Amino acid sequence: MKSSSLISTIGLLLAAYVAVPLLLGSNQYVMSMVVAALIIGGVALSWALLGNLGGMVSFGHAAFFGVGAYVSALTTVKLGLPVFAAMLLGGVGATISAVIMLPVLRLRGPYFALAILAYAHIFRIVATEWSSLTGGSGGVANIPTLPTVFGVDLASKTGAYLVVLTLVVCCALAYSRIRSSHYGIALRAMHDSEDATRVVGVNSTLLKGAMLLVSAFMAGLFGAFNAHYINFLEPDYAFNSLWVTLPIVAAIFGGYRTILGPVLGAVVVYLVDQLIFKSLIPTGHQLVLGVLLVAMIVFSPNGLLPLLQKWLKKALGKEKKHA
Amino acid sequence: MLELDNVSVRFGGLTAVDSVTLSIASNDVIGLVGSNGAGKTTLFNAISGLVRPTSGAIRFEGRDVMATPMYQRARLGIGRTFQIPQPMHELTVRENLIVAQRFGTGKVDHQKIDEILDFTSLTAKANRDAASELALTELKALEVAKALATDPKLLLLDEVLAGLETTGKRRFMGMLKDLHAKFGVGIVMIEHDIETISNLCPRVAVLNFGQLIADGTPDAVFRDPAVIKSYTGAADA
Amino acid sequence: MTELILQALYSGLLQGGSYALIALGLALVFGTMKIINLAHGELVLLAAYIAYSVESGLGLGPMFAIPIALVIVSLTSVGVYYIVSRIKKDREINSLILTYGIGVILTNFILLVWKADIRSTSSSWLQEGFEIGPFFSMRSEVIFFGVSLVLMAALWRWLATSWYGRAVRAVSSNRDAAKLMGIDPGRTEMVSFLVAGILAAFAGVALFSYGVIQPAYGGALTVKAFIITVLAGIGSIPGVLIAAVLLGVAEALTVTLASSALQELSGMVLFLLVLFIMPNGLFGAVRRRG
Repeated sequence: MKSSSLISTIGLLLAAYVAVPLLLGSNQYVMSMVVAALIIGGVALSWALLGNLGGMVSFGHAAFFGVGAYVSALTTVKLGLPVFAAMLLGGVGATISAVIMLPVLRLRGPYFALAILAYAHIFRIVATEWSSLTGGSGGVANIPTLPTVFGVDLASKTGAYLVVLTLVVCCALAYSRIRSSHYGIALRAMHDSEDATRVVGVNSTLLKGAMLLVSAFMAGLFGAFNAHYINFLEPDYAFNSLWVTLPIVAAIFGGYRTILGPVLGAVVVYLVDQLIFKSLIPTGHQLVLGVLLVAMIVFSPNGLLPLLQKWLKKALGKEKKHA
Repeated sequence: MLELDNVSVRFGGLTAVDSVTLSIASNDVIGLVGSNGAGKTTLFNAISGLVRPTSGAIRFEGRDVMATPMYQRARLGIGRTFQIPQPMHELTVRENLIVAQRFGTGKVDHQKIDEILDFTSLTAKANRDAASELALTELKALEVAKALATDPKLLLLDEVLAGLETTGKRRFMGMLKDLHAKFGVGIVMIEHDIETISNLCPRVAVLNFGQLIADGTPDAVFRDPAVIKSYTGAADA
Repeated sequence: MTELILQALYSGLLQGGSYALIALGLALVFGTMKIINLAHGELVLLAAYIAYSVESGLGLGPMFAIPIALVIVSLTSVGVYYIVSRIKKDREINSLILTYGIGVILTNFILLVWKADIRSTSSSWLQEGFEIGPFFSMRSEVIFFGVSLVLMAALWRWLATSWYGRAVRAVSSNRDAAKLMGIDPGRTEMVSFLVAGILAAFAGVALFSYGVIQPAYGGALTVKAFIITVLAGIGSIPGVLIAAVLLGVAEALTVTLASSALQELSGMVLFLLVLFIMPNGLFGAVRRRG
């Protein structure tokens, strides 16, 4: 990594791990929103990974989120597994659900996007109907919270924040590693020239499938975290389309071609939605999200944050010239 | 090294390749000619795994590769260029070769990549975007370079000279001449120009309407009445 | 038992007719522009809510809502077209996300204006039972099945004989070639969106007449329309009807033989089956594999 980006990364991590808890830790309301924003950011990250590396747009990430949530919740409630182990299992469960979806990879863009959506619907219906396993539409209650580790109560808002932050950092790191590896280079080429890669020995189907599994694992992880964070789960919540819409808006807003873009986008979009839009238009405040999404696709498909970055750079550059 | 045994490729009612039986040894340099639509590219597609023959058998180094997927055949040693160059998008020239080498052979050898870049005269453009910053000659050179990076045993060249003007063509021909000597790879090349073929290839195979109608030295093949007829369409040669 | 099954088949048939009306607009736009309007379900729902307002506000039956719905919904549909046409690159994927966003806007707009309560027609005439032999249904179901057939026939004829209709077919088949023949693809695409809006308007009014509506239904309607479009394959109007009836029957049978909760499931499973086994749909002629 270049020294300049290394410094900014360390700075960002310091700010996130130290500054935020110190400054905002006492404000439970804001902290809970930051945690929610990071959960969405995590799903947005996994969505963007699938889009960027796998070249596939999905409208069904709620499927992975929900499966991860249920697997983790049920293994702690019914089998008594420790929470962190269950969360990992949640990710694994989501990955397995993605294995069922592998045949869908052969399909082109829109068909893939909607086929995944169909899976999400199916999972929701299964979760609702298989009541002996999942508690049906009533859901699962009293899901164990995050434990206390080294004297730090992770169930508190600040504690949960640290956990979800760590999850985001780990996923971002993994994403970055894959992207800069040889697999990442091949994946980049596969978007527009898949045959060209296959003719030189790239098993493109395997790589795409791997990206789907990785993306599913990540989304499942955050779903699992969410289950232990709010301690309650039901099908309509776990597989809600909000887990589709918000991450997509967040990822596109923040710039889905970058790694941190989706996360930053999630923080901004979610906080603005909850703090401003919700108070302006209590029912149907998501209308603004829709407008945002439409505006971005038309005017700045690469995201608004990158656009802001460009403007900032230009403005600063102009100042330097004058000085 | 490569055995085609009665291979036929049918698309619906159209027979593109008709019962072709051909044997290619590891030190062969074979020219594949025939008028447009004779089935040459389809034959290449069948060998490299892009299409599946409707009947017949294809054996590479003794093993049956009919069911082997395209990416696997590349790893086994069948390299191929496309008539219309297909560079890997969003990658530089060097990255194209890195991917080809990494996935075609299992590891990356930067020295070898530099050699190939040098051989195909692409060193100057190594860090340029492959899909948007190369001239036609360079794109075609990249096709060959990519295939070479996979360390092939058999190289299928599909009309690499097509569309090139005189100087480019001459440079390419020089490169093709050295290809077999320098990399020890068996070559089958599709070209239209009879003079070029006679110059480069000690053996020529002729396809006409999907059928193999001649297989021998350039001299013998181009004097063959059946071959002449297929080119001129004359009722009697 | 056979009685139950036959009744299910009959209900499924009628339902299929209405489903076809819902799906046709989506199928038309998909055929012409190769894009999926994910806001199509919301257009249908909008028409349904307009019918509700006309009924609750003016006390007039849903039939009278049709002209108003036609105007509003087709204008909205053309509006969608204009936004979509602003996309500069990667149209296939970006239009998906874009129309998804428009769908979110419309759903929330409906939520804002009409609140979240479930609505349905209060016209007892429409909801009255109507018997044909041993088969039972609501009067509205039969009426709108007939309306569907009429509209489909009209659409078919329009595509076959009118100038714009044939232009739509030409653009669907080969955009560049159509351009070379003097057809303005942009105009034609707008026309297809307009016609889709007209169809959606009828579909929505029908939906209000025989079913219940809720702001959240928009998405489900779009998904259903898409499933039918996929099932039918591209380029075939009768195909859409048959596919819609198939879906309707599958759902009815599932409800009768299994449980009503699994109704939606049958559609999803059918969808996936078709994608894997018959990627070109029942009657289509297009490559769906990448």
